[in-house]
Amino acid sequence: MSKHRPVERAVKCQPRGEGFTLSFFSMASLCEVLVETQDEKLALEMGQVAADEAWRIEDKYSRYNKSSLCSKMNAKAGEVVQIDSETYQLLEFAHQCYEMSEGAFDITSGILRKAWHFDGSDNIPSKESVEALLKFVGWHHINYSLETFSMNKGMEIDFGGFGKEYAVDRAILLLSIMANVPFLVNYGGDLATFGKKKNNEPWQIGVEHPAFKAQQSTIVTVKEGAIATSGDANRFLLKDGQRYSHILNVTTGWPVKDSPASITVAAPKCIQAGFLATLALLQGENAEAFLQQEEIMYWSIR
Amino acid sequence: MQLKQTKPNLKALLTTASCALLGGTVQAETDESWQFDTAIMQYAEVDRVMATEAIIAGQKTFSNDQVLNLKLTIDALTGASPNGATAQPTPQTFTRPSGNGQYVVDAGETPLDDTFKDTRVQLTGQWTQPLWQDYTVSAGGNFSKEYDYMSASINGNIAKDFNKKNTTLSMGMAYAYDVIEPEGGIPKPFAAMVIGDSDDPSFEGEFNSTRISSDDSKSTIDLLFGITQVINRQMIVQLNYSYSTVSGYLTDPFKVLSLVNENGEAQEYLYEHRPDERTKHAFFGQTKYHFDSGILDASYRFMTDDWKIDSHTIDVRYLIPFENGHYIEPHIRLYTQSAAEFYQPFLEQANSLPEYASADYRIGELDTYTVGIKYGMPMGNGNKLAFRLEYYHQTPKSNGTQAIGALKDVELYEQVDAIIAQVTYSF
Repeated sequence: MSKHRPVERAVKCQPRGEGFTLSFFSMASLCEVLVETQDEKLALEMGQVAADEAWRIEDKYSRYNKSSLCSKMNAKAGEVVQIDSETYQLLEFAHQCYEMSEGAFDITSGILRKAWHFDGSDNIPSKESVEALLKFVGWHHINYSLETFSMNKGMEIDFGGFGKEYAVDRAILLLSIMANVPFLVNYGGDLATFGKKKNNEPWQIGVEHPAFKAQQSTIVTVKEGAIATSGDANRFLLKDGQRYSHILNVTTGWPVKDSPASITVAAPKCIQAGFLATLALLQGENAEAFLQQEEIMYWSIR
Repeated sequence: MQLKQTKPNLKALLTTASCALLGGTVQAETDESWQFDTAIMQYAEVDRVMATEAIIAGQKTFSNDQVLNLKLTIDALTGASPNGATAQPTPQTFTRPSGNGQYVVDAGETPLDDTFKDTRVQLTGQWTQPLWQDYTVSAGGNFSKEYDYMSASINGNIAKDFNKKNTTLSMGMAYAYDVIEPEGGIPKPFAAMVIGDSDDPSFEGEFNSTRISSDDSKSTIDLLFGITQVINRQMIVQLNYSYSTVSGYLTDPFKVLSLVNENGEAQEYLYEHRPDERTKHAFFGQTKYHFDSGILDASYRFMTDDWKIDSHTIDVRYLIPFENGHYIEPHIRLYTQSAAEFYQPFLEQANSLPEYASADYRIGELDTYTVGIKYGMPMGNGNKLAFRLEYYHQTPKSNGTQAIGALKDVELYEQVDAIIAQVTYSF
């Protein structure tokens, strides 16, 4: 995810084959909803609903937005913060991810970015600066209930690890209630489908994802379900011939070694695919073996 | 990071985790097999009733959250139950409710009818399903049969979730129809029990003259309104109001009152008579609180009816889990009720007969308490075994009626002790 920039909040509508493509910007990504219907009004309404939801999630959970709930939770670290049921559910999900990954997937680990700047340089941080930050990392220091949240002073949480995928799944949920037409939701390469196209044709769309080489679009063919990609072709460090990926081991605070440049995973839900892709990268050289063992469909770029 | 060969199925775990987050849209692969609970319970009063109950209950959850519950209960009751007459300084002879034979009660003993023996079979079914967003509906039926009694009922409930399922409002209605067909028929209210040699040719005619029919019935309507509120991650509170009105034959055909002279000596035993309508209001509050060390489940119930019975029940359980999955759960229950306005321990010849009267201690002034403990343990594969042992003590009390003559020297309000033991197994 690149730096936050203010963009106009508008939904564009373009005709396309059997239907329409609605597009807007949110969460630093080009977001698209492909709807298979001749009803332009319906398509526009669906685009607006998806966009409103994406912007809502962005406003609420983006750590770049100073007035977001996430920023408030971070600013008030050390105090008890009131949360709502949606946030509780997201924390529950984060907790499950932490458990399933045996501690490897930890939404409190974002603070390590203060030491690591993956700008393609050879700027490796000192051991001391990483260790100083590590004491602020650890999901087990988080306390939350249905209505309250608290963590140690100095800690930070970041919903960015699954925020975009969550927005995709929320869009699928909201749009599927509106109309029974096939559609695809693609937020910067993390995507999910609903319904089947005529004759069960697959969706074919160009995907741009930071995991793929800059400005290079990849054509993706999907019949049903969701895919998500983890990795970032532009975020790494290179020193003495060693490539340091931006995927960090939360125990050591150092990059996971020998992980693929990117992993794309297919799953029923986008948020599941996103988690599995990240979890795979965290396995380093075992990334592909891990996905094979779990019988998960994936594409890896080394 | 090392890969483990024995990890649980990641895909299944992830499906569950995202299902909660994304609501009901995730097609979770629900296990559609049956879940069974079985129980054997033994209830034994000292010198009185002994009951054995066996239950098998099955629950099947379908993939779209529809739930079917079926339950079969079999009770076997044996032993002796108070017939309503007072103890006397002399032995007393009573005719059995069927008219077939007599039984004799020793001096100073509370008269118990020892022919109490019955087996009841009960079948219950309930279907619950989500109706549309946030609504859950449920409908069910119940049928039970014993030798001289039949009961059938139907019920319907609707519940709506608010506030992201943190608040649930529910409403229910039930209708029940019961028929009693006691052996020997329904006695005439306040008719005197015929006591004599049942082999005598004139006995049967005399006995039959105290009977008005072979059976009678009653019908009950229940309404229930409830709210359940999740307070926080630890605490949940439930409040209910229920209204119940029953009309028909509410008298106990097996119960009598002693009609005593000015010396407190029983002259006759008159069959009791209760009003043919009864309306109850009940208020119920319950909270469950999840402490770090266990789960507290506390409830209070207040019931009041137009027979002037008011009752209060406090029930507290505390579940203490151990790290190995075993748990113990101490339980205490306190109950107190005031007497029905027509309750009286005996009738006096000097007074004219009231419109209604019953000496049944169960509608007299009464305190009870129960203390018990439950011990449960997992048996592997999700199966569970639990044992429950409870002690129950009942103290019937005077509603203010002055004992006269001989009645001063006998126990009019005999206390009862009982032991309840239960084993449950879920698989």
